[in-house]
Amino acid sequence: MALLVRNVCKVLSQATQKGAGVRTLHIGAVRHQDNFIEQQGKVKCTLIPGDGVGPELVLSVQNVFKAVNVPVEFEPYFLSEVNPTLSAPLEQVANSIALNQVCLKGILATPDHSHTGELQTLNMKLRRNLDLYSNVVHVKSLPGVKSRHQNVDCVIIREQTEGEYSALEHECVPGVVECLKIVTAVKSQRIAKFAFDYAVKNNRKKVTCVHKANIMKLGDGLFLQSCQEIAELYPKIQFETMIVDNCTMQMVSNPHQFDVMVMPNLYGNIVDNLASGLVGGAGVVAGASYSAECVVFEPGARHTYSEAVGKNVANPTAMLLCSVKLLNHVNLGRYAEQIRDALNRVLNDGKVRTKDLGGQSSTTEFTTAVINSLR
Amino acid sequence: MAAHSVLKYVRPRSIVPQLCRCTSTLSAFEIQHKTPTIKKVMPIPKAHYGGRHTVTLLPGAGIGPELMGYVKEVFRYAGVPVDFEDIDIDPNADNNDDLDYAITSIRRNGVALKGNIETRSTEAGVLSRNVALRNQLDLYVNVLHCVSYAGVKSRQKNIDIVIVRQNTEGEYAMLEHESVDGVVESMKVITRSNSERVARYAFEYAKRHGRKKVTTVHKANIMKLSDGLFLETSRAVAKDYPDIQHNDMIIDNTCMQLVSNPHQFDVVLTTNLYGSIVSNVICGLLGGAGLLSGKNYGNHYTIFEPGTRNTGTGIAGKNIANPIAMLNAAVDMLRHLGHKKHAVLLQDAINKTINKGVHTRDLGGQATSREVVDSILKYIKIAYN
Repeated sequence: MALLVRNVCKVLSQATQKGAGVRTLHIGAVRHQDNFIEQQGKVKCTLIPGDGVGPELVLSVQNVFKAVNVPVEFEPYFLSEVNPTLSAPLEQVANSIALNQVCLKGILATPDHSHTGELQTLNMKLRRNLDLYSNVVHVKSLPGVKSRHQNVDCVIIREQTEGEYSALEHECVPGVVECLKIVTAVKSQRIAKFAFDYAVKNNRKKVTCVHKANIMKLGDGLFLQSCQEIAELYPKIQFETMIVDNCTMQMVSNPHQFDVMVMPNLYGNIVDNLASGLVGGAGVVAGASYSAECVVFEPGARHTYSEAVGKNVANPTAMLLCSVKLLNHVNLGRYAEQIRDALNRVLNDGKVRTKDLGGQSSTTEFTTAVINSLR
Repeated sequence: MAAHSVLKYVRPRSIVPQLCRCTSTLSAFEIQHKTPTIKKVMPIPKAHYGGRHTVTLLPGAGIGPELMGYVKEVFRYAGVPVDFEDIDIDPNADNNDDLDYAITSIRRNGVALKGNIETRSTEAGVLSRNVALRNQLDLYVNVLHCVSYAGVKSRQKNIDIVIVRQNTEGEYAMLEHESVDGVVESMKVITRSNSERVARYAFEYAKRHGRKKVTTVHKANIMKLSDGLFLETSRAVAKDYPDIQHNDMIIDNTCMQLVSNPHQFDVVLTTNLYGSIVSNVICGLLGGAGLLSGKNYGNHYTIFEPGTRNTGTGIAGKNIANPIAMLNAAVDMLRHLGHKKHAVLLQDAINKTINKGVHTRDLGGQATSREVVDSILKYIKIAYN
């Protein structure tokens, strides 16, 4: 026994003399229990079902949460632009999100013609109100979903409070309409920094800035320059630039070259949808909008799928992936893992498939399948 | 006019000003004589997205890495919305690449939590990394709030002193040279601008926290010009705060008074080296290096660290280091980031643990680090349920 103690002491004292040895020893001494440590207490979350099939998808998420017994409490608000009489006031919803800091949201339909003559849509107002400046869409191939490309994994980050969506349009002379695209250094740097910080946090290697500075030399030029300036702060992350037209072509022919992409508002909208199409459509891609204080999780490609309302055919995968991201965000990783695994198992089996993935199953059947494969 | 404004638009002022210019390209002379100058910094948006902050984590040497492990564990358990970017600085490296990267990381995150970093290299070009961090980020003030814990047996009870210390110049200017063989001169630099900044911070702190008195600690009877300037500046600043009492005391007397009658002090304002001495004296009175946490503030960046800057290499890896100081630093960080709810939660759990007598060996107890952390986790759980 004494011998043993002496040996242990000897090893320890030797270790303290060697720098590298000390470090490994320390790390060994700290008990990491990632899987066992979990957050205590309940999380409150605002819920906006949205238009179209939104309510059906949200119901699916709620059922899965109930089955796993997730400690999340939803605070539902009906918000809609096409149905203004039923809609809750925007301030009320915004206050709730600001208070809870997290929100799960379906898609709000946006009519082509404004009834009130107002140029801003409800979506834009909500984003402005909460300053949700950054939209993140994680485009990732799902197991068992047949698509043009396999193993796509890229993140599209989009500035969504300025650019073409400034809602500043006017007719200076009859027949001549001017639409203003606003680019500011502050917001461009902010989104660029967001993209790089996202890359650092998620162990990504490369950030690609997508722009059209060859034509819009001042506007997109400023965006490009801001990205380049921020890139200097991240020496360990590769930085690339690409013109948006080339980017869309590359995306379709060789999407594997992309990692994190950062772009202004309209390009982001287009590339988001294009990338969603690559991995299986609007029903399977999750997204999130960030401000400094809060985050709204919503499907990545913004379609309400209103022609399917009540038919029970929409694919809840995107919404479920949103909820997985939500759980990860609020330190409930264990539940997130559980739901993601169940979802992957169902998709991999391929027995229960909704219409958009070539199957015949209904939304509720799919949800039940996910619940049944929970472990 | 229009052209001018457009030009301004196209070329906004670079937000990356001489980004911690790589010190390895400078000569030894330049390193000694140019690095202590204050670096001009421009604000970069902080890494704060969706209510979560990203914070740079510099584990440092000795017990640093294991303490950081405890911080992470407690944070995850309490559901604190903070993510860490770990950066290791190799203590044996003969260049400053790791350090430069760490500084870059702090510049983009805005906030860091740090242990004590070792500098083993004796090359002239390799700066003390702790000092270099403070200088390059211009963290001109160090604040140490020394409060007694009721549950800790110590020499003096009910101490509540705030030490505000100049953090970037004075004796730590790192300007030393051997003028003739066998004669070494070390320069102590005191500037009016820096003295005024730190004095104003001390009085502003006193005003906001309802403190009554500021004591300037100096040695102006010997160093009539340098410490004289510091004292004179603090007197001038004191005139702007008529509600707060101001007096001064010589450093040797201060040490004696601290040991015999510490209750006469409220806020202590002091230069760099004296600050280091005074804070260690008070920590000793309160119960050692393992309890208190310090804060380093600049205009743009903040670094939180344990209050006394020891690495604790001797007790590393033995599961006996006191995790309280680092956890207190983490709580300070949460307050600074605005996560008040979580800060209060953790603070309560820490206080309960200490006052219930779960002490590591340095406080005269028998508990291991692990037991202290487990006790904190237990109190967090009770608070949630």
